[in-house]
Amino acid sequence: MLSFEAKYRREAIDTPAIPLLGLGLFKLWIGRFYVGFWGIIALLFGTIGASIWLWRVVLLDVTKSGNPLVNFVRGQIEAPSPDIGTHFTTDPAKGFWWLVVVACATITFISWMMRQLDISRILKMGYQVPLAFSVAISAWVTIQIIRPILLGSWAEGFPLGVLAHLDWLSTFGYRFYNFYYNPFHALGVALLFGSGFVLALHGATILSAAGKKKEGVTDHNINTFYWDFLGYSIGEIGIHRLAFWTALMCVLLSNLCLVLSGTLVQNWSAFWNFWNKLPFWSGF
Amino acid sequence: MATQVQTRRDSADWRLNKRFYVKFIEGLADTQIGPLYIGVWGVLAIAFFGMTVFLILFGYLASVGYNPIRFVREFFVLSIEPPAPSYGLKMAPLAQGGYWQIATFFLTLSIVFWLIRIWSRAIANNIRPTVPIIFTAAIFLYAAIYIIHPISMGTWNEAPGHGLRAQLVWANAFSIKYGNFYYNPFHMLSIFGLLGSCLLLAMHGATILATIPLNSHREIDEAEHSTAGTHKAQLIWRWVMGFNATATSIHTWAAAIVVLAMVAGALGVILTGKIEPDWFHWACRAGIVPGVIQAGAGNVPACLP
Repeated sequence: MLSFEAKYRREAIDTPAIPLLGLGLFKLWIGRFYVGFWGIIALLFGTIGASIWLWRVVLLDVTKSGNPLVNFVRGQIEAPSPDIGTHFTTDPAKGFWWLVVVACATITFISWMMRQLDISRILKMGYQVPLAFSVAISAWVTIQIIRPILLGSWAEGFPLGVLAHLDWLSTFGYRFYNFYYNPFHALGVALLFGSGFVLALHGATILSAAGKKKEGVTDHNINTFYWDFLGYSIGEIGIHRLAFWTALMCVLLSNLCLVLSGTLVQNWSAFWNFWNKLPFWSGF
Repeated sequence: MATQVQTRRDSADWRLNKRFYVKFIEGLADTQIGPLYIGVWGVLAIAFFGMTVFLILFGYLASVGYNPIRFVREFFVLSIEPPAPSYGLKMAPLAQGGYWQIATFFLTLSIVFWLIRIWSRAIANNIRPTVPIIFTAAIFLYAAIYIIHPISMGTWNEAPGHGLRAQLVWANAFSIKYGNFYYNPFHMLSIFGLLGSCLLLAMHGATILATIPLNSHREIDEAEHSTAGTHKAQLIWRWVMGFNATATSIHTWAAAIVVLAMVAGALGVILTGKIEPDWFHWACRAGIVPGVIQAGAGNVPACLP
């Protein structure tokens, strides 16, 4: 336990539970971990999903290599075959285990978000952490559930394997001719690099003044440094707002770029044909 | 709401009296603009960057016959391309890539001057030069792509052109030319760092925003003497995942993961070509390619025997 932790645990125990949402039920700690109702659900479904994956991929030796590490890296649970559409199947050869693992993973992720909500509530802080995590879940749900349903086939989901999902990603780009021409992909990548940029600047900025402090150094030195070199200092609250929205918009725009592919747009190169036909310069 | 209020009261710095405010962002971020420091390194950086931009934009204009409507219509497609491979590393005629060589040279100089400028400003403001140190990691990636890899291959043609589409075309073609960059282990590490930086940014931003009423955003003070806001920010992650950083160490994690992304990316580009010409074959030799590649409607075998 941290030196100040006992006080917050006592306060947390005094916070009333909300039984219908499961928030504040099973309010106890195992070591450092808070348990809670949603912790039990997350642990249950996470264990089932992970065990199925390890059994199918590592124990059954899918790559016939006899090497668990090679199986872990190369092995995969393939997405269902296209002929079952978006129906349920119990045929292991047609993707039963993929459906089970995806369902377990989705339940686990949402339970984990509810657990963060629970902890935010008993610590009496804002709900930005579960909100941000729900955006991360939205990427998984968009790729594995919403887009396959829109296209009418679970086969559109990605295979569950370490290198297999890289192959899926690589192939996905070329299926729609050139994903680099997808404007929402471009915005998503710009914000991904932007995330790295903001994170590096913020991390380095705080490290430059915090820690073993020089005499008299305060946040005013940071402000004057940024006025000097950029002409603007966004401020201590502003930088965290910028951080939050850069990261979240990166994921949300990536969702858009994926869900449009195959549903409304088949070819991201041809998508730009409208550009030269715009009225103000067509025929020029 | 704006943290500026605090600093204005605390300090008698002249820079707080010479101010220009943008009122409409009040409540979102600090409102004061400037004063910007110029200095000799600033003049040099801005001058060389300005010449780079001038060369590129003037080259665009020349390539559309000085027609402003075509300039706007084709802006995304226009590019100043590097010289053809036949010129090797020699200076090419201006219209056949010489402009690219001059623009890239000026751009590199302006980046170095900008680094020196940030460094000198950090010293002048009595803080450690951590920002310029991390900036060198980004410069290393730039140098790997625009200088080290082209020199290792003996032609400037390996570098991206100066154009919006040209960079996308380069990234796409570079991956295919060297056997699919998804199989480059350094590219994997770099992507891990980049996606990780998005994750860490969201986690840190969300944690601090959730505890602003308790002043967790005053991170330089909190790093020295943590109070309730920082305690809650630490406890949420300790209770969620059994691990928490501190007000100082979260920023070390932040800087480290971006440096990983930049340095691993640069090493991946430097090793490409002379040392490993085909990353897919590397992956086949390393035995990490899945047996089949799933392609939407059907499966195709991956490695040839």
